[in-house]
Amino acid sequence: MSEPIRVLVVDDDQSFRTNMTELLNRQEGISAACAESGDAALEVLAREAYDVVLLDMLMPGLSAHGTVREMRRRGLGAAVIVVTGHASVDDAVEMINLGAYDYLLKPCTIKEIVQKVTWAQEWRRLQPPQ
Amino acid sequence: MSPQSRPGGRPGPASAAAGGAHLAAQWGLPLGVLLGALAAARLPGAGGALAAGAAALLAAFTVHRLRLRIRAASQERGSLSEQLVQSQKLAVLGELSSGIAHEINTPLAVIGQEAELLRADLETLEHGPAREALGRRLDSIEAQVRRCGDITHGMLQLVRKAAPVLQPVVLAQLCEDMALLAEREARRREVRIVRRYAPGLPETLTDPPQLKQVVLNLLVNAVQAVRPGGRVELAVGPGAPGWSEIQVRDDGPGIPEENLSRIFNPFFTTKPPGQGTGLGLSVCLGIVDRLGGTLGAANAPGGGAVFTVRLPEGANPPEPGPALAR
Amino acid sequence: MDPIKVLVVDDEPDFVQLFVKRFAKRNLDVVSAPGGREALELLRATPVDVVVLDVRMPGMDGLEVLREIKRRHPLIEVIMLTGHGSAESGLRGMSLGAYDYVMKPFHIDDLLERIRKAWDHARRRRADGEAPA
Repeated sequence: MSEPIRVLVVDDDQSFRTNMTELLNRQEGISAACAESGDAALEVLAREAYDVVLLDMLMPGLSAHGTVREMRRRGLGAAVIVVTGHASVDDAVEMINLGAYDYLLKPCTIKEIVQKVTWAQEWRRLQPPQ
Repeated sequence: MSPQSRPGGRPGPASAAAGGAHLAAQWGLPLGVLLGALAAARLPGAGGALAAGAAALLAAFTVHRLRLRIRAASQERGSLSEQLVQSQKLAVLGELSSGIAHEINTPLAVIGQEAELLRADLETLEHGPAREALGRRLDSIEAQVRRCGDITHGMLQLVRKAAPVLQPVVLAQLCEDMALLAEREARRREVRIVRRYAPGLPETLTDPPQLKQVVLNLLVNAVQAVRPGGRVELAVGPGAPGWSEIQVRDDGPGIPEENLSRIFNPFFTTKPPGQGTGLGLSVCLGIVDRLGGTLGAANAPGGGAVFTVRLPEGANPPEPGPALAR
Repeated sequence: MDPIKVLVVDDEPDFVQLFVKRFAKRNLDVVSAPGGREALELLRATPVDVVVLDVRMPGMDGLEVLREIKRRHPLIEVIMLTGHGSAESGLRGMSLGAYDYVMKPFHIDDLLERIRKAWDHARRRRADGEAPA
């Protein structure tokens, strides 16, 4: 597997998303960028292909739910991992039923993130082509 | 009373009971004396005085017993209405803390990320005592972030209420299962768990996994409260008609008076910092409440603490009467 | 009556084989997974009534797997198997939503009865109208 896993970090908290992006880029085999909202994420995804999207559950503007729905509508094959501050665990689980691969709880370590990102990529590889 | 309704908190029965006790006190004794006097009027001489005296004594005795029963009844109801307030407090606190927890989790995550980034930067420095010292401080920051995360994640448990799913259960069997689990911890500490299961207790309609959580929690608390060689007693038996009781008693130091009223508060704990979040008993109270029962804590007359779970046998139990003497 | 669908999660193939053999005779439909991650992936697509799960497993810890199953599939009941069993882990498991705790070594009939009760609990919960998350 020589191609790095391309990860898009979507979160309205600037510190969180820039730190996360930097931490991911320091990991071998991962290349990351970020977007500040669901709408911004969709713009990025229209231009470039990503393997995994880390999506904050609670953002102003387009909801996580709406973002995922739009991604499916456009046939974007990226695996989605929703990231939640915990009060919305039930919502996160609901997202899995709607097609997200997994969820993460804040705070989480880079090790946990890399593991789920890796598993998400493996899972993607096993999905039938879109 | 169905498991879902709450008898406590209604001012009617409690104050009627208090009123009744007052009336009995005021009028019972004079009434007895009057009856005695009437009896005496019919009987000549010494016999009459004796009859009057006997009637008065009987009246006094009856009034005394009546007052005791009425007071006990209103105390029992009092504790039910206390539980209602307690569980309402719990619900509000739960909502509040879950909101706070959610807000805190992102800044907490950022602190954790900064620590991880610092650690990566640290690797560019030369090995040496300075680098080691900084590394240890980062370990500490990451550990505290994890600890805070455990607390905020724990707060969610207060809010997540699972509606009970009822099955008929043999309480003694359920308690025995949990005693066997707790016994592993108990043996390690040389503590005995003594069982007292009343035979022939009818099955109780309840939610087994939720009730198991309560029983195990009480047992583990009791085992941890006693010294090596100490004793924990687990009793299952009938309570008031239509009710069953599970009691966990230990011979430890008991609960200090000032803590008795706070023991079911969320986050109240007597354990040292970092060991347990103090959510156990408040969660237990929430569970027992949803199961339509009551959970009480007291100090046993001989020393040590006693926790009592009272559960209705079926979906529509009669009002609980006065607590039975134990 | 439809057979009860059981997922056994354990990293020892011999143990799993034992289950499959003994339970197949008693009208139980058994599938297996060697670990937590595989179990969760299997549960996405395969309907299961009861999961039998060991507390101690390499990789994803038994309690973690329990927590994830209860979060994603709240209608599935989970029975924990414990060898060393500390009361604290039992407490943690019960508060995470385990239906029951069984200590090893166990009697197969005892475990069967608990599975049946767990299945009954799940059935009643469904009947009560609790919708999955």
